[in-house]
Parts: sequence; structure tokens; C-alpha cells
Amino acid sequence: MHFYESSIITTKDGLHCQVYGNEHPIEGILVKPKYIPTDKIESDGLQYRFISGKKMNRLNLWSDKKKLSKYIEDFKKSYPHYILHSDLHCKDRLFFYVPIDKIERIYYPRHGLKELMSMPFTSLDDYLKNVHEFATFLLGSGLKIKDLGITYSTLMGHYMTNISDINIVVYGKENFWKLMRYLEIVKHPKLAWKTNKQWINFFNRRNRFNIFGNDKFVELMSRKKSEGYFGGPLFVIFGAEKDDETWHRWGTEKYSCHGIVKMQAIVEDDFSSIVRPGCYLVKDSKVIEGDDVKIDKVAFYSRDYCMLAKKDETIEVCGMLEKVEPINGEPYYRVVVGYFDAYISDRREKEYIKVIDNE
Amino acid sequence: MHFYESTLIDTEEGIQCKVYANSHPDGFVVVKPKYIPTELAEFTKLKRRFILEKCMTRFNLFNSKEVVEENLKILKEKFPYFLYNCDKHNNWFMVVPKEKIKTYHDPQKGVQELMKVPDQDMDPYLKATKGIIGLILQSGIKLEDVGISHSTLLGNYTPGKSDIDLLIFGKDNGWKVIKYMETAEHPLLKWKTKEEWAKYYKDRIVSKQFSEEEYVFNMVRKKDDGFFDGNVFSIFVVEKEDELWYNWEDEHTPLSTVKIRGKVLDDSNSHVRPGYYELTETEIVEGYDNVPIKKLVTWSRPFVLQAKKDDRVEAVGLLEKIKTKDEEYYQVVIGYYDTYTTERGEKEYMKALVD
Repeated sequence: MHFYESSIITTKDGLHCQVYGNEHPIEGILVKPKYIPTDKIESDGLQYRFISGKKMNRLNLWSDKKKLSKYIEDFKKSYPHYILHSDLHCKDRLFFYVPIDKIERIYYPRHGLKELMSMPFTSLDDYLKNVHEFATFLLGSGLKIKDLGITYSTLMGHYMTNISDINIVVYGKENFWKLMRYLEIVKHPKLAWKTNKQWINFFNRRNRFNIFGNDKFVELMSRKKSEGYFGGPLFVIFGAEKDDETWHRWGTEKYSCHGIVKMQAIVEDDFSSIVRPGCYLVKDSKVIEGDDVKIDKVAFYSRDYCMLAKKDETIEVCGMLEKVEPINGEPYYRVVVGYFDAYISDRREKEYIKVIDNE
Repeated sequence: MHFYESTLIDTEEGIQCKVYANSHPDGFVVVKPKYIPTELAEFTKLKRRFILEKCMTRFNLFNSKEVVEENLKILKEKFPYFLYNCDKHNNWFMVVPKEKIKTYHDPQKGVQELMKVPDQDMDPYLKATKGIIGLILQSGIKLEDVGISHSTLLGNYTPGKSDIDLLIFGKDNGWKVIKYMETAEHPLLKWKTKEEWAKYYKDRIVSKQFSEEEYVFNMVRKKDDGFFDGNVFSIFVVEKEDELWYNWEDEHTPLSTVKIRGKVLDDSNSHVRPGYYELTETEIVEGYDNVPIKKLVTWSRPFVLQAKKDDRVEAVGLLEKIKTKDEEYYQVVIGYYDTYTTERGEKEYMKALVD
């Protein structure tokens, strides 16, 4: 079932969830719980926020692992109906989902932007004026308002001026690539890209990138045009797949796990590397550690790996090896980085995708 | 369920309303619509805000009579249930039928939750909110007697611009807080000085009915609106279910717009909405025979806490004859909904007279 990534769902028991992926099981919508009320479970290892009249924990998968593991266990007990037991995956896979009957309200990024753009400019506060201006600037790429959305705090209205990011959703992979090409060449007095120093600062704060050297990290990140600054705030642009262009369909494949592998391969196709989950189609794979099989695909659930590698570049990946058995088609192998359960195991530190210099 | 004044409810259609009284007619809640999605109705000369994914009209009645009439007409066409003609009052009110309420935003629960959030996870606005609540608690009331409302509760506040709206539950608790605030000292607490009120009077030309001296005298002694760490805060005292003074079964006969003077005999219900001052030694200066006035009632927040016991007051409002189960008397009312669409609205005021 198709449902757009990055929409926000509030549940009847007060959770704020972000839709996590564009393909979903028929029983509900796959999500990442983002803000969780503290009346049933609570962790001082997670940040607190006061939202919608409630003290909430903000789920951060990079928080203290011991406390995070405890919290996830508590979550499973207190909110068992939000844990998907997938028949398609190994029993260890962790998916969060919102059953249809638990949805209180859905906040649609596309609708939010349409409404925002219909507002008289003078009625907006400084933060929203900047968002309005940024969206107008992006329309210079040739995209239409209906191709764009706003999400997270901008959509929900609990943003903090000068602090909150501007999160933009682009509907359609072609549209996303078109926008990236535009941003590579366009100039605007309010548009700025992260400097090397800012990327290194970012690098130092995110232990998920510790497999890169500083120079390589800056080189790879600097070519991404999905993140930058507009009029002060950071903006991040996400891609969302349309119904007819998702790279996988929930329920059409089964996955069995074969342990952790480290491998190298050449990127054959990076077209779907802009979405979540995203993927690189690869060739000439070479397993360095783990089961020695031919790997055709590298999938990832973390946005950090979006647009990391380009076609014909060589990547090195450490992740979960899965045998994929399509209902119609030949079995093949893929490596997956960033399943939720990875964050509460030693895979959190082990898993990565990196570009290596071609020999 | 008791619906407290200054709390928020959402209707089934997603209209956010502010509860506008502590007592309500059977089956209804007296409200003012606050935010109405523009996709539901288009209004005239009203500002818009982007809230929770939607472009919303900030509905209010502070406009010219013609604009208010036009907007009320639109509202009535789209949502006829909002306009409630009350036979007992011979007047109209804005209400939401209870069955149309989708969400009640609980201000007391909101405070309980807010106070549990660690300081390091709060922005300066929420820290100021926590700070002013901490100060108020020094009056001796309990945390469960405090609530937060409006954008503070819903989280769509703008730091540096949004007011901190605090509710105090119970009339005695309300007086405790107001008396405490009259003498409270805190490095982050600030009130407008006489000079600032005088400047405000000159800059805004707030009323033709007040001299500058009268205006400053009336405003400077009120301690329900102030500043805490640079943020405006407002204290709303709300009545508990067992202490309501207003009875929707009383029969109101509107008589005339009158100007009165009198002396405040009892101000103990002057800190709620609707609130009243019990009067003595009254005189109708203009508009009707000189009948004795028992109560001066206000639906308008600017006239809450406007006078104290033994103050001499002057007011213009609607004279009504009231018939309750037990007695008949006269009262003057300021701030009924119809004042937004009639000339009486421009005439009404209340002031404590300077000796």
C-alpha cells in the first residue's frame, strides 16, 4: 500500500509519528514514533519536549544505547499495537507502525505547503515568511507547488524561530533530481551551503560517520544539494516516491537474514538513493567478511546515506545480508543498513555505507 | 463536565474556540470562535494564521460594526449553531452545542506536564512560563489549581510575541494569587509603571471615557497582566463548578442604555468572566428612571478587577431587570455579544473614580 513518506500522524493515544517509507503493509502505516507521551513510559536518556500540552520524549536512535534499548523494550510492552510483526522479514526485525484505527489525524506536507502559500505574506511570522520565500525560490526549478510539501515542526506549528530546520518534501523522484540539478547551479542572496568547517562540526557530532576521514566526509557531503541554509535556518530536502515509482512493493518479496557482511561493489544505479528506504543497485560485488554471495542491491533506512554515492562509484558497505525471494522472479541478495533493531545492537556502530576511491 | 472560562475546545469541523464563560446554558458552551480553517469559510478583514497544517482565520469581533455583522452573517450561514438566541436574556450569544465538541484541551493537565519537563529541554518562553508559575505557587495555592491555555498549552506560541496565559482555578485561589502578586518581587517580574501607562494612553488614545489620570489610576493597580522575563503574562481566574454565580434560568428584561454611578459594596466576583460588582448608593445619571442597581456585570475582560470594595465607580451599559426564583432587581451589563454590532458597544465602559 502506498502512503507518502514524511507525512505526520498523530495517534489516538497522543504519539506524534513520522511516516517512514512510501510502501506499507495493508494493516497500517510504517512510522518512526517521533514524540511519545511520558505518561506510560519515559526515559531520561532521551530529550524532552512540551508539545500539544504534553511532556513528550523525543525518540533519538543515537541516544545512550543501554537506555534506548530499555526504552524500546518498555515501548513494546506499553504500545504493543504499534509493533509490526512482519511475516516477510526475520523475527528480529523491528518495525513501528500505526494501525489504521489508531490514527487520530494525518498532517499532509503537500496540503500544509499549499495552505501556507495561500496565506497573505504579511500574516506570517519571520520563520514562516522565510519558508514561504524558500518555497517560492524552489519553484524556480520548474516544479509546481503540488510537487512540494513542508513537514515536521514547520507543518505542525511547533517550530522555533532561528532554531528549527525547514524540512521540504519533494514528491516524485524525477522531480527531486530536477531540483537537485537546479540547486547545483542557482544563486540566491539567502542561499548558503555548509562550509567545510560546518560539515566537520556536523561530522563530529554524528558518530554514525566515524568510518570516514574528515576530508572524504567533506568531499562527499559538499556535493549534496539537499541540505543548506536559507536566510539563516538549515533546510533539508527529502524525496518521496509516487505510487507508480516505488522501488519495492510491500508483500511482493520475502527476506531471510544471513548475518552481517562487509562488502564492496560498484554502483550501477543511484536513482532511488534519494528516498527512504533508499537503495543503490550494485554490480561486481565482492564480500570481504561474511557469506560469500553475489549482492545486487544495497538498501538503507537512514537518510544519511541518501545520495552518498553516484553511479560508477565504488562503495563499501557493512550491513545485514538478506536473501530476497520475490513472489515473481529470481531470488537475489541485498545488504540492508539501518533497520530500527540495528540501533539497539552492536550493528549501530558497525553498519555503514561509504564511498571508496576506485582503484 | 464543567467547561471553564478561557479554556480551548475544538469542534468536529476543526474550529478552535475559546470558552467565554464559566456558566453555560443547558447543552451548550458559551464561546468565541478563535481559529476557523479558511477552507471552511472566507471572512472579511480578518487576519490569518498558519496553524497545524492549515491556513486559519483568526476570528474576532474587534472590528467595525459593519464588518462584524458581515462576518457573523457568514458564520451563521456556514455554522448556524454558533448563534444562540436566548429567550431568558432577549439577547444572543455564541455557543457550541456539546455534541459538536471534538476535543477539550485540558489546561490543568498541561501545567502538570509542563512542570515535569527538565529546564534544559525548554526554550526561553517555556522557561518563563515555568518561572511565573513557580512565582504564583508562592501565593500558597497548589499546582493543581493552575492551568495554561491558548498557544502556551497548544505549543504554537511565538517566543517574544505570544502571551503566557495562566488560569487559576477557584475564586479564593484567584484572590490569593492576585493579592500575592500585588506585593510579589522577583528579578524577572515587571509591571507597567504609571509613566508607561500614561504613555500607552497617549500613544493608543485608548478611550474617550477616561482622562489620562483616571486611566493610569485604573490600570496601574491591576496585577493580572504583567511581564515575566520580557513575556507578557495574563492571569485568568475561573470558577469551579460549585461556585458559579451566574444563573442561565434568571429572566433578563433589557430596558435601556444607562450611565450610572455607585459605590462597590462587594468585589469578590469581579475577577471572573462574566464577573460582577455588587453596588450600593447607586444613581442612574442618564437613560432611565433612577432605580436602584444591585449589580454591575461585565463580560469584558478589560473591566475585570477594575474596581475595589468601597471604590466609587461610573459605568455605561445595558440596564436589565432581573427576575430570579427568589427576587427581582436591576443590573447593568457591559460587554454582551450584541455590543459588537450595536452603537452601545462604543458607549460602554466602567471606571473607578479617582478621589
